[in-house]
Amino acid sequence: MIDYRARFRSNLLIASCGLAVFAVVPLVANSGLMFLAGLVAINVVFGLSWNLLFSGAGLLSFGHAMFFGGGAYAMAVVSLRLPELPFLVGLAVGAGCGALIALIFGFIALRRASGVYFAVLTLAFSELVHILITKTTFLGRNDGLVGVPRPEIDLGLFRLDLTSATAYYYFIIVAMAAAAFALWCFQNSPAGRLIQAIKQDSVRTAFLGTSVFAWQLTAFVLSGAIAAFCGAVMVPFTQIASPEIAYWTVSTQPILFTLLGGAGNFWGPAVGAILFGAIDYGTRAMHGLSEITVGTLLLVVVLVIPGGLLGFVRHRRKKTRGTAKASTAEDTGARP
Amino acid sequence: MTSILEARGIQKSYGAVRVLENVDFDLQDGEAHVVIGPNGAGKTTLFRCLSGETRVNGGQIKFAGQDVTALTGAQRVKLGIGRTFQVARIFPDMSAFENLIIAIETRERNDKGLRFTFGYIAPRQQVVDEAERLVVELGLEGAVDDVAGTLSHGDKKRLELAMSLALSPRLLMLDEPTAGMSPSDRAEAVRLIAQVRKGYGLSLLLTEHDMEVVFGLATRLTVLHHGEIIASGEPAEVRSDSRVREVYLGQH
Amino acid sequence: MYDIGMTVFNGLAWAMATFLVAAGLTLIFGILHILNFAHGGFFMIGAYVSYSIMMAFGGSLPLWLYLVGAMASGIVVGLLGWAVDKLVFRRLRDVEDAYSLIATYALLLVCGGAVQLTWGLNYMGVMPPAALNTVVFVGDMFMPTFTIFIILSGIVAYIGLEFFISKTRTGRLIRVVAADPWMAQLLGLNVKKIYLITVIFSFAMAGAAGGLLMPNQSLSPELGGIFLLQAFGVVILGGMGSIRGAFYAALLLGLIESFGTYFFPQYPGIFFLLALAVILLLKPEGIMGKGQTA
Repeated sequence: MIDYRARFRSNLLIASCGLAVFAVVPLVANSGLMFLAGLVAINVVFGLSWNLLFSGAGLLSFGHAMFFGGGAYAMAVVSLRLPELPFLVGLAVGAGCGALIALIFGFIALRRASGVYFAVLTLAFSELVHILITKTTFLGRNDGLVGVPRPEIDLGLFRLDLTSATAYYYFIIVAMAAAAFALWCFQNSPAGRLIQAIKQDSVRTAFLGTSVFAWQLTAFVLSGAIAAFCGAVMVPFTQIASPEIAYWTVSTQPILFTLLGGAGNFWGPAVGAILFGAIDYGTRAMHGLSEITVGTLLLVVVLVIPGGLLGFVRHRRKKTRGTAKASTAEDTGARP
Repeated sequence: MTSILEARGIQKSYGAVRVLENVDFDLQDGEAHVVIGPNGAGKTTLFRCLSGETRVNGGQIKFAGQDVTALTGAQRVKLGIGRTFQVARIFPDMSAFENLIIAIETRERNDKGLRFTFGYIAPRQQVVDEAERLVVELGLEGAVDDVAGTLSHGDKKRLELAMSLALSPRLLMLDEPTAGMSPSDRAEAVRLIAQVRKGYGLSLLLTEHDMEVVFGLATRLTVLHHGEIIASGEPAEVRSDSRVREVYLGQH
Repeated sequence: MYDIGMTVFNGLAWAMATFLVAAGLTLIFGILHILNFAHGGFFMIGAYVSYSIMMAFGGSLPLWLYLVGAMASGIVVGLLGWAVDKLVFRRLRDVEDAYSLIATYALLLVCGGAVQLTWGLNYMGVMPPAALNTVVFVGDMFMPTFTIFIILSGIVAYIGLEFFISKTRTGRLIRVVAADPWMAQLLGLNVKKIYLITVIFSFAMAGAAGGLLMPNQSLSPELGGIFLLQAFGVVILGGMGSIRGAFYAALLLGLIESFGTYFFPQYPGIFFLLALAVILLLKPEGIMGKGQTA
């Protein structure tokens, strides 16, 4: 029997520790590091949203930039062209935009393609979105949309002023915590279990009376919506939406986070995103070094420790304890 | 007795190879119907056509009076046709218990819609209770917490049977339920299948190689040879049928 | 007439440039069943190596040096292929498809990083060799000699590959291994060696393609990604590892892209993507069907 309550409690504990670390950053670090930490926090959830598909549903997406970029541009358009709309509506539009893109392209890609073909199709769709953005005047073509303001949120009783970078940083932490919580709940709900079951044996799930297509599409749409939400939250922070955030190299970011951190663990992408941020920061002085470091690390992970960093740690811990604990009974709720 | 499953003029080819040629097949409510035949006779193909794993090239299939020819396997399951596979299909990286939980939750979703799908984190008590009842009923007590992929061959088959039962089917299709088992395991499997058939008031459709299992379970027997039905009736009748003796039993 | 002629010409240019990159990609895909993201990276390294050779000779580019440079790039990158097979590909045989795709992406990252470290971030450009830097008039259509040269190179590469795969001993062995590696092993073929030959050959083609296509490109660390997506499209559409399929897919996508851009000049680069999506939806196994390696 699995102790679901203990699983929930231990994950809450992990998340709280992570939150506490992020909350302390503005108090101890300079504004440059705080900016980096804000982006890392967004990347954490971006990675989690991708891993919902990869480990949760067994779908390899090479096109998450289209959601991230879609959400970012939707947010930028709302705040620049429709300033009378409240900020939170802009966020909702951003997430909805990602869900819509995922619905359209997922409907096409999931009908026929699987495995490597699915990966290449998502890559092609994502490039399509990227090119369309660079050619559309309304979206600022190659220059993007600049000068996106940070908002003030009217909560009826009082106004929340997020115009300073620090205030908005805290908003990012709260928003990302909420998104991570939503993802965790989904992956541990009956729907999340079902999608995992489809990954493990789609024929069996079909013969339990389930539409495999409909549930894979559900996972794709949810993943797209959360990734777009990340993009939408990022735009007022950086105050610009440029075509690079819809470029295919962005699609590979969550893949790096997840694989480095460990795909088999719900928090793997989070660890990977933080590690990646650190590598990027440490090698910023020398062009190319960061790519080589990350590329080599990724190769080592895939070839030597496919469980990623967390998988490696767990493995070592198990070895020293000498227990062969069943991998399903993992207290985190995600499986390789 | 009424027909629960009716197939008329079933045709199925793979490329240029015609596997099933105008097969008519009836399954009465409540019977345990075993399809036998030499390897390559088309048993598995017939099974796949009836369960909806593959589409027929011609003919019509009715279940409980409803035309299901154009329905997918998943849609047929919702109407009450459950099935198992020759090599048990389970979710290999989950515990046996989780396998059952998923099956029960799926049935609930099919019956009641999406009400209990999102938001609930742990399986509800009612689902857990039902899973525990199935564990006891099928004798899976020793295996509940094990990762399903590491279970013994027999336990995998049992687990798959339990998952199919969780869907509360009217008709259960078992493809070679004792394939690869030792004689003692076989006897136990026969006992278990007979027990759940009685307990759940199921109609059964089986394919089987082992003669002891066939005659231990069958209330009706159909013999398939080269994609055609050459005999169908009570086991004793079929056993004495001269054509059957010639093409099938004669080989033993 | 003029427009149609030029559009077809441009389509052919797109198709053959892409085929030059895709040929090596489809070979590895067909035989090792690895979709090699890094191919774009090694193509780029080939281009940079050629560039360096040319710079070492003072920057001007006579035709013979251009051809020797491309061949030298092929050899250098082929040697890199030897290392990559020993270090990486050999270990990917038992790895899930998704993970091996990610591993080759990691290699692409390393390539990009190495190029940045060695040659820097700046854009660099080279003119075609003087002998090919002219224009031919056919009727009222003007066709750059260099583009004609690329189209011819593509066709020669295709014919050469077809010959290699179907007529030579090594080619036949490669086909046997691609069809059934287990059986090939049983028959006593050295499967590992044949994989190694395939990888070296494929990488050498990437390097040589980089050298050939380098003029008129702006060399930058992003070069790898640009051709890669086009080549991916061609390989996937052509069917698993089919060289003939890749050739026809390149022609098809090239013409679609070129006509699309003719009618909607403000959207270059999206028509082959759209066509790829639509065709894969209708025929997921690609235009040549499955499992052909030839």
